[in-house]
Amino acid sequence: MSRILHSFVLETGAELLKALRAPEFIFPTLGMPVAFYSLFAIMIPGSSNNPDYLLATYGVFAVMGPAIFGFGISVANERDKGWLDLKLAAPSLGFSYIAAKVCSTLLFSSLSLVIIYLVAGFAAGVVLPQPTWALLLTTHILATFPFILIGLIIGFIFNANAAIAISNVIFLAFAALGGLWIPIMLFPQSMQSFAHFLPTFHLSEIALYVLGAPGERDLNYHILIIAIMSLVLLAATAFAWSKQRNH
Amino acid sequence: MQQSPSILYASNLKKSYGTVEAIKGINLNIQGSGVYAILGQNGAGKTSLIKCALGLEKITSGTLQVIGSAPGTLQAKRQIGVILQDSDLPDLLTVKEQITLFASYYPTPFSVEKTIEMCALEDFADKRYKKLSGGQKRRAQFALAIVGNPQLIFLDEPTTGLDIEARRNLWAVIRDFAKQGKTIVLTTHYLEEAENLADRIMIMNSGIIVADASPSEIQKQSKGSVIRCETSTSYEVLQKLTGVSSVSISGRFSEIHSTDVNQSLSEMLSLDPNLKDLTVNQPKLEDVFGRLSQGVK
Ligand SMILES: Nc1ncnc2c1ncn2[C@@H]1O[C@H](COP(=O)(O)OP(=O)(O)OP(=O)(O)O)[C@@H](O)[C@H]1O
Ligand SMILES: [Mg+2]
Repeated sequence: MSRILHSFVLETGAELLKALRAPEFIFPTLGMPVAFYSLFAIMIPGSSNNPDYLLATYGVFAVMGPAIFGFGISVANERDKGWLDLKLAAPSLGFSYIAAKVCSTLLFSSLSLVIIYLVAGFAAGVVLPQPTWALLLTTHILATFPFILIGLIIGFIFNANAAIAISNVIFLAFAALGGLWIPIMLFPQSMQSFAHFLPTFHLSEIALYVLGAPGERDLNYHILIIAIMSLVLLAATAFAWSKQRNH
Repeated sequence: MQQSPSILYASNLKKSYGTVEAIKGINLNIQGSGVYAILGQNGAGKTSLIKCALGLEKITSGTLQVIGSAPGTLQAKRQIGVILQDSDLPDLLTVKEQITLFASYYPTPFSVEKTIEMCALEDFADKRYKKLSGGQKRRAQFALAIVGNPQLIFLDEPTTGLDIEARRNLWAVIRDFAKQGKTIVLTTHYLEEAENLADRIMIMNSGIIVADASPSEIQKQSKGSVIRCETSTSYEVLQKLTGVSSVSISGRFSEIHSTDVNQSLSEMLSLDPNLKDLTVNQPKLEDVFGRLSQGVK
């Protein structure tokens, strides 16, 4: 048992090292969310509700990067280079490769969240009761999982170069069109309807509900949609995995 | 009498990718330690055989067993190390970090230090993989193949792209490992490599094993040299010269296979003092294939 644990810790450590040594990963995952949040919540003056509202949506933005890039680009790359085959031929436990990536991704998304929360609390003047902070953090961390599945699907289907392009397009489109950067009420009606097809929209609505942002929200509806989306993504991930094994 | 256990056993093994038949019925029984070379041209099916043995590809029909277990089972994998033909390690991890990680997969691995020493990686163990030369990368891959202290090691074209010195270095490490009682199955395009390293050479051609022999038997078949030149002497005359075993014409060149190069050449020169573009080479693998596969049939 302790040998398996030891191996798993090393595996997770290796994932973290790979991520920390790649500036092209650090910037969009750790730098961009807090930079955008500071810009829109602090530097650009607006209504006093903005820092709270944006904390909910930028928190979703913060967890999306590590998941989509950490899985999409790195799995595609490691598959392309034959590293995944080498691991599958070695007696590592089958799921440990994915599990270690999940752990390292969760650590990165938590770190990204903590940075934004600190800026929100100390610089942007967001004041929330402690249980609300805790619930918000939990919500945001759970929000990582659908994006992990999206990253995995990209990683299993596309080659390394295509995966970089696709990951970036999805990352930016999901953020912009799901209302993570600019509140969705400011969008034209057609774009507001389109947002309902994006997990980013529903996840940020759930986070806004948790945070107690003003406005009517149907929590159960958003949770149901996210649950359905996650199940579909899970099935698609399993399909993409089996397809890449029998290429 | 007790037979020594099979390390790699195949019986009427077949593997197809869609309509492409990569392996067309192989029988194989590798027992005991030593170096076993699988020699074959591009597309012969060498990599397919290794991928099936690793459980990375499903076999289409027949039997394949690795140290008594089915390929791809944890039990089998624990006894195997491998260099895959086109597999690279993560660029951003150091050699030592990768060895440490791989060691943790196996029940009774060598220590990281011992592995670094055995593969002579001291000079670049703390460098990131990306920064290594081609030969250093191959040695790092070799280290991952052996760190688990496996009984069976597959090396799929381990020396392709290496210079002579790097190749010799790797050969030395491979020989050392075989001396410790391990079984090494390696593929190569170079007859010289197989002859230098292997205790047994299997020649694969279009998905079947066409010859299975010791290096000395193969050497016997490949004895002599190939004289290639442009000459006015006719095919019929060349064939009758001393030492000449076969003659072929390709374009403006005549290719003469001879077991007595000096004598054949001097006769050729006296017949045609103006022969041009003369080269003398070891017989090519294809020639040896040809003769060996005829011998086997
Ligand atoms: N994944 C695959 N899908 C379809 N065909 C394949 C696949 N892999 C190999 N083949 C085909 O199977 C045959 C054997 O290929 P294999 O890679 O086993 O040859 P090889 O002996 O290793 O060649 P090389 O010396 O070039 O590495 C070839 O005709 C090849 O085109
Ligand atoms: Mg090959």
